[in-house]
Amino acid sequence: MEYIRPQNLKEILHLMKQWKKKATLIAGGTNVIPDLRARAIRPEVLIDISQLKGLSYIKEDKKKIHIGALTTVSELASSKIIQKWAPLLSEAANQLGNPLVRNRATIAGNLADGSPAADTAVPLLALEAIIVIQGGKEKQVPIHQFFVGPNQTVLKRDEMIKEVIVPKCNPNAKTAYFKLGLRNSMAVSVVSIAVLMEMEKTFCKKARIGCGAVAPKPIRAYRIEEMLENHELTERLLRACCETIGKEISPISDIRASKEYRTEMASVLLKRVMKRVTQ
Amino acid sequence: MKVSKTYPLKLNVNGEWKKAEVTPRETLLHVMRERLSHTEVKEGCGKGDCGACAVLLDGKPVNACLTLALQADGQRVVTLKGIGTPDKPHPLQESFIKKGAIQCGFCSAGMIVTAKGLLDKNPKPSREEIGKAISGNLCRCTGYKKIIEAIEEAALKLRRTKNDRR
Amino acid sequence: MNEKTELRIIGKPIPRHDAWEKAFGLTCYAADFSLPGMLYGKVLRSNYPSARILSVNTSRAERLKGVKAVLTAKDVPRNESVTRFGQTHVVGGGFEGLYRVLADRKVHFMGEAVALVAAEAEEIAEKALELIRVDYEPLPGIFDPIEAMKPDAPLVQEGRPNIITHYEVVKGDVKMGFSEADIIVENTYRVPFVDHAYLEPESGMAWIDEDGVITIRVSTQVIEHFRGIADVLNLPHNRVRVIGTYVGGGFGGKEDITVEAFLALLTYKTGRPVKLTYTREESILSHSKRHPYVMIYKTGAKKDGRLTALEAKLVSDAGAYVYLSPWVLLYSMVNAAGPYRIPHVKVDGYTVLTNNTFTSANRGFGAPQVCFAYESQMDELARRTGLEPEKIRMMNYLEKGEALATGQILERHVALQETTEKVIEALEERTLPSGQMRIGRGIASGMTSYGRMVFLHDTSRSHVSIEMDGSVTIRAGIQDIGGGQASSLCQITAEILGVPIEDIKIYIADTALTPFAGTTTATRQLYMSGNATLMAALEVRKVLVHKAAGMLGIDPESLDLVDREVIDKEGTGKSLPLKEVVRACASDGVPLYHVALFKAPFRNIAQFERIEGQVFPDFTFGTHGAEVAVDEETGRIQVLKLISSFDVGRAINRLSVEGQIEGGAIYGMGYSLTEEVILNQGITMTPSFSEYLLPTSMDVPDVETILIESGDGVGPFGAKGVGEPSVCSVAPAIANAVFNAIGVRIYDLPLTPEKIVKALKEKKDMG
Repeated sequence: MEYIRPQNLKEILHLMKQWKKKATLIAGGTNVIPDLRARAIRPEVLIDISQLKGLSYIKEDKKKIHIGALTTVSELASSKIIQKWAPLLSEAANQLGNPLVRNRATIAGNLADGSPAADTAVPLLALEAIIVIQGGKEKQVPIHQFFVGPNQTVLKRDEMIKEVIVPKCNPNAKTAYFKLGLRNSMAVSVVSIAVLMEMEKTFCKKARIGCGAVAPKPIRAYRIEEMLENHELTERLLRACCETIGKEISPISDIRASKEYRTEMASVLLKRVMKRVTQ
Repeated sequence: MKVSKTYPLKLNVNGEWKKAEVTPRETLLHVMRERLSHTEVKEGCGKGDCGACAVLLDGKPVNACLTLALQADGQRVVTLKGIGTPDKPHPLQESFIKKGAIQCGFCSAGMIVTAKGLLDKNPKPSREEIGKAISGNLCRCTGYKKIIEAIEEAALKLRRTKNDRR
Repeated sequence: MNEKTELRIIGKPIPRHDAWEKAFGLTCYAADFSLPGMLYGKVLRSNYPSARILSVNTSRAERLKGVKAVLTAKDVPRNESVTRFGQTHVVGGGFEGLYRVLADRKVHFMGEAVALVAAEAEEIAEKALELIRVDYEPLPGIFDPIEAMKPDAPLVQEGRPNIITHYEVVKGDVKMGFSEADIIVENTYRVPFVDHAYLEPESGMAWIDEDGVITIRVSTQVIEHFRGIADVLNLPHNRVRVIGTYVGGGFGGKEDITVEAFLALLTYKTGRPVKLTYTREESILSHSKRHPYVMIYKTGAKKDGRLTALEAKLVSDAGAYVYLSPWVLLYSMVNAAGPYRIPHVKVDGYTVLTNNTFTSANRGFGAPQVCFAYESQMDELARRTGLEPEKIRMMNYLEKGEALATGQILERHVALQETTEKVIEALEERTLPSGQMRIGRGIASGMTSYGRMVFLHDTSRSHVSIEMDGSVTIRAGIQDIGGGQASSLCQITAEILGVPIEDIKIYIADTALTPFAGTTTATRQLYMSGNATLMAALEVRKVLVHKAAGMLGIDPESLDLVDREVIDKEGTGKSLPLKEVVRACASDGVPLYHVALFKAPFRNIAQFERIEGQVFPDFTFGTHGAEVAVDEETGRIQVLKLISSFDVGRAINRLSVEGQIEGGAIYGMGYSLTEEVILNQGITMTPSFSEYLLPTSMDVPDVETILIESGDGVGPFGAKGVGEPSVCSVAPAIANAVFNAIGVRIYDLPLTPEKIVKALKEKKDMG
C-alpha cells in the first residue's frame, strides 16, 4: 500500500483521477481506519488529506455559514457561529460518537461515509445544506440529493467534498433535535430527527424535517413538511403528522431495534421535536 | 508476501522527537506500542469504542487506534508517561491513586490522558462535564464514580496551585 | 495480638501499591512484554457453529516466508484432556469436562480454534491464516437448550448426551406447601449471554528458558493451569511455568485457559518466544460467556406474607463445551430459593450443551441469574399481598442459625435486615416525575458465596519473610485481577508486623517461585490467601516478639510491634528497633520466614444429583436499591440512584471495598439494561464494543455504598468477600423499580427500551 499526503486540492484531484478505485481518501480516519483494520477495504493507495491546510474553517457571510470539509465534529460542536446560526448542527455534533472520536471525525467524513444514521446529516437536511463537491469542476449538490443508499452517495471516485454551506437559520426559526440511542454516549442512532420551523404565531410558514436511521439513507420527511407548511398548527394536525410519518419511512430491523420500534419512535420523536418548536 | 512500503515518520513523543519507518496501515497506537516502546498506550478494542489508547495529539485527546501513524507525522503526542512521573507526579495521577480510581488499571492511561485534555481546556469542570469528557473511555471495574471524583479533586488542586503562584 | 488491639492499617482507605505503577504507566501487562526474536501467534477460528472438518490444508501457509509454525489438532501431543480449575482434589461427579485444544473432526461453535500460526510479524501471521484452507461440511446445529434436551436433538459432542448435569434440591413437600399458600405467583424468566468485557483482551507470551522450561507469562486468574498445559504437551508438570501478570480485568473470563496452551504449543514447536494477543472481536467471539438461563419459578405465600413454598426449574445453556457449567449450575441450585425461610422447596436444574459459544464463570457465578428470578417473584408477592417490598422480605429473611433449602446452616451473621433498612433510608425522597418520565424504585436482596465449594478441598499458601533491614517480603501465588488482591495481603502483613505498608514487597503469581495460593475466582483470595498470609505473618511476629522479649527482659505478652519497633505496651518506654531484633534472630539461626497453609473446611458431597448439606464456607449478604426514570414513550431507562448495602464482615481496605461494590453495581446495571451477546443460530451478532454495550460514564448514577461490618466473616479479621456478591441483586432491583414506575414487569434481561414499549402496549391493550 502506498501513502500520499497531497499539499493542495489540485494535487488531491489529480491523485484521485489517477488512482480511481484503487485509492481511498482519508481525513479524520474514524470510518476508514476500522475498515482497513477489518480488511473491509483494501486500497492500493491512501490519500491522506488530514493535514491539508485551508480546508478546516467555519466562516460566515450574510446569509450562509461555510464549513470546510476537514472541520472536526468537536469544532462544529463548539463553534459560536454554528451555535448561533445553526444550533441544530451543534446539538447533533455534540452527540456524535464520543469526545475522542469527535476530535478526529470530520464533517465531510461523516457525510461521505453515507451511513443512514449519520449524525450530522440529519440536522443538515433540516437546514437545507449544500454540499460543495470538487471534482473535475466544482458543483453544488443540495444535501437531500447527496445520499443515494446505505453507505452510498453521489460522490464519484474522483470527487471529494470541499465545503458544506449551511443557510443561516432565520433568527425567528425554531429548531429541535432528538437522537434516540441505546446509551447516552457512544450510541448509534436508533432514530434521530431534526426539525426547523418558521412560524407566525401558530401558523407554520416553513417546515423542514430531517430523519436518521429510518431509511436506507438519511431523509427529509417531505410529506410531513407539506402537511405543516402554510397551515395553522393544531393539536389535530400534529397528531396527524405523527401518524403519517410511519408511511414516509422505511426502517430496517437490526440488532439495535426492530423496524416496528423504529417506526413508532419516529412518531414519538416527531411529537417531541414539534412540541419543542411550538412551545 | 508483498512487503508493504514504508515511510519515514517523525513524532514528538512527550517532548522528545522520535523517528520510525512505518507502513501506511499502521495506526499511531501500533507505532507507539510496537516501534517506540510506549506500551503505556493500551489497546482495548482497536476501533475507537473504548478509549484505552487515548493520547493527546496536538493537545487534544484522541484514540490512537483511530489515527494512522503517518497522520500524526510532525505532531506532538503526549501519553500517560508524558503527563507525570513518579518523581514529578501530575495532580491527576496523585488523585487517581489516592481516590481509588484505579483498579485493574487498564483504562487508567486513557482516562488520565483524556482528563488532562479536559483540564487543559476547562480548569473548572462540573461533574457533568467530567462525565461527558470521559464518556469515550470505558471502565469495567470502577463504575466511574471514583474516577470522576479523582478528576474533580485534581482540578481543584491545579486551580489552587495556579492561584498560589499568582 | 489480641482482638482488642487497635488496628493501624486494616480498615483504612490506603491507596494500593499497584495503583502507583498503574498511574504512571509502569505496569507491564501481558501484551506489554517482548523478547528478542519473538514470533507472533494467531489463531484460525471456525466460521461455522456446527460443521464437519473434511480437510485442513496448511501447505500454502507453511510456505509463506516468515511463517515458523502452522499447527492443527494432529500436532498437539495431547489434544484432549479434562478441564480443571486449579483444584488438586479429584471430585468426579461430572465436574470435569472435555478440554480440547484444537478442533479435530468437527467444529462445535463459531470461533472454535482450528489451527495456530507463529510468524516473524503479526501481518505475516494474519496472512498465513488466510492461506490455510479448511473444507467444512456444515451440519445442523442446535441453539436452544430446551430443544437440545429433547431425545431426538442432534448431539453437540459425539458420544455424550446434551444434558450435562441434572441437579435437584428438595426440602419438605412443595405440593403441600402450595396447598397452604393463599397466593401463588408463577413466571418464566430469561437472562442472556453476557461478555466479561474486561478492557484488556486475552494475551500472553511464552518462551523456553535456559533450563528448557516452557515459561508462559499471561493474563490469567488461574496460574495453576500450568498442570493442564503440561498435560497438553505431555511434559512433567515441573517443566511448565506460568507467571501471572497484573490482569486488566478478569470477572471470571480469564478463569478458563485462554491463550496459554496455544502459546505453549507454538513456543514448544518453534523454540522461539511467541506472543499472542486476541483482538477484541476474537475475544468476544471465542471466550466464555455468562450462562443464559431459562427459569420457571413458582412461589407461594400466606396472605400475611409468609412464604410457604418455592418450586423452580432452571435450564442453563452451556454452549458447546462443558467448562464450568456444572459448577455454575450448582451455585444456582444453592442460591435458587434465595436467602429466605421457605418450608417447602423443590428446584430442578439442568445445564445443556448447544452449538452456541461456550459459557463458564462470570462474576456472580450462577447467583445473579436466579436472584433476578427469586427477587422478581418476591416483588410480585409484595404487590399481591399488599405489603411493602421491604416488609415481605424482612419477614422472610433467614437468620443466623437457620438453614438454606439445601440444609446448609448459616453459621455466621445474616445482615439482611440491616442492609434492607439502610437501603430504604438511603433512597430518600422520591425524585419527581417530569414529562414522559415515570419514576420508580425497587429493592432486591441477594446472597453470594465466597470461597470455593467445600468438596473441592480448597487450600492457599503464603510465604512471609523479614529481611535484615526490617523490610518484609510476601510470596504468594495469587493473581491480582484489579480487585486489590495483592495489596490486601500487604495491608494484613503490615498490620501484624508493625511496619508501614511501603516496607512490604509482594511477589505474586509465579508457579515456580511463589507458593500456590489457588485461583483468583470465587471471591476467595481475601478469605483464603488473606488467612494464609495472616497465619504466616503471625508466625514471623511470634519469633520476633519472643526474641525481643529475651533481649528486653520483658514478658512477650506485653510487647507490640509498631512503626518498625518492638515496644512495651505497658508504657515503660522500653523498645528495640525491629531490624535489631531481626539481626539477633538471624545470628541465632532462627527462621525469619514462615509459609502457612490455610485450609477451607473440607467436606465431601454425598451425591451430586441431590444437593445437600454444607456446600460453601460462608455467604455475603446484601441489598440493592434503585430509583429509575422510565420514559414511557421510548422505553429508555435511566438509573437515577443505585444504593448498595453489604455486610462485608470487615473492610480490610475501605477504598478497595467501595471500589468493588461501585464497580459491581455498574456491572450489574449493564446486565440489567444494555448488555447482551446476541447469537443468531450460533453466530455472534455483537462482535465488538459498538454492538456490545457497556455503560459509559454518562449512563451511570453515583453508586452509594453503605457498609455493614459485622466482623462475622470467615476471612482475616472477620472479613467477607465482596467482589462477586456486589453484582448479584442489581438486575432485580432495577426491574422492580421499573415495575414500580410503569406497572409492567419485564421477565427477560436486558430491559431494552423496545421490551418496555412492547410491554406497555400489551398492558394498554388489555385495558
